[in-house]
Amino acid sequence: MRIELDVNGEQLEADVWAGESLLYVLRERLGLPGSKNACEQGECGSCSVLLDGELVCACLVLAAQAEGHEVVTVEGLAGAEGLHPVQAAFARAGAVQCGFCTPGLVVTTAHLLERNPDPSEDEIREALSGNLCRCTGYAKIFDAVKLAAGT
Amino acid sequence: MKFVRPESPEAAASSLGNGSVALAGGTDLVPMLRDGLVQADELVFLRDVVPRGVQSGRIGAGTTLAELEVDPELPQALREACAASASPQLRSMGTIGGNLLQATRCWYWRLRFPCYLHGGDRCHARQGTHREHAIFGNDRCASAHPSDPAAALLALGARLQTTRRELPVADLYRLPTEENRNLTALERDELILELDVPTPDASVYLKAMDRRAWSFALVGVAAARFGAETRLALAGVAPVPWLLENPSALEQSTPLPGTAYKVEIARALVRRALASLPTT
Repeated sequence: MRIELDVNGEQLEADVWAGESLLYVLRERLGLPGSKNACEQGECGSCSVLLDGELVCACLVLAAQAEGHEVVTVEGLAGAEGLHPVQAAFARAGAVQCGFCTPGLVVTTAHLLERNPDPSEDEIREALSGNLCRCTGYAKIFDAVKLAAGT
Repeated sequence: MKFVRPESPEAAASSLGNGSVALAGGTDLVPMLRDGLVQADELVFLRDVVPRGVQSGRIGAGTTLAELEVDPELPQALREACAASASPQLRSMGTIGGNLLQATRCWYWRLRFPCYLHGGDRCHARQGTHREHAIFGNDRCASAHPSDPAAALLALGARLQTTRRELPVADLYRLPTEENRNLTALERDELILELDVPTPDASVYLKAMDRRAWSFALVGVAAARFGAETRLALAGVAPVPWLLENPSALEQSTPLPGTAYKVEIARALVRRALASLPTT
């Protein structure tokens, strides 16, 4: 089936199988590999994207479900003037090691700060609870969130 | 496989069965399709036909857990149970109707062992690894029901409106029998449309997990007080959400060697839940 998707403000078309996830279509059919494919069970958050402004795991949403809705991926965050403040904060705080969880955490953090520009430690932990990182131990990620909140 | 957008709830319901499977948020169904646990020729997308939102105690079955957890109109137990479920990413897609019907997390079932629920002759968890499993209703299948909101709705005495009938949430669930291994009483071509949730004088949901977020309940306890009566319901302790007649009913539990600790946790959470409810 052919579907139309609004991804990062662009109207894109793709021929998909009805059972294909939004993640698969973004990565394999639309050339947007920023959202990462790790657990494919909704456990790790590496594939986090925004669907109509809500944070979702793209591996748990079928592309067909997203038709007619706005999708924002990590590729859509940086503007003409350079990195998104959350991306800059992750780089500055040393919150990136292997980098696999980073796109999901960046999207999740941008979503948090959009709704809550000055989150408490507990609010940060709750907001990031669906994103797993196996390298950093999270301390530098929390530093990055606080740094981004202050910018 | 086809993706279908039905015109009405009735059209959606009547098309189900024979390879047509209902899709709401997809958080449980999408991985099960991928893993081959559910076979579908056709996905019937419910988003545009099942009610969504809350109006004077009536909840559309298509309302997401994220929407419910922040709705000040709703009883505290239901809001807390939604907030304690899964992760923000899943709560923003997962609907309350789908949450009530979600499949067990039992890994023997998920890994397609020929277990009792899959139509086999025994429960592999009873002899095998069963730390997350049941302490009640576990003689045939020892799986534990994963839904936190289901326990809250059971304690609250919620009622469901389906495309066919109205029923108490308690009647949605059944233990598997030799003839019928289903854990719900929903007909194949029946959809949950709305939930009617009574307003208690006070209610609470407490949940023990392996970590403080994004875990299924080892034990969840919902308590709701209506006047002099307090109703208790448990998540994660039986193949279905479990109504606890009174705190001492825990002494009639039938834990497996690996789940005896859940009785201790349930005792403690029941005590704490009851103590936390303000008295009149």
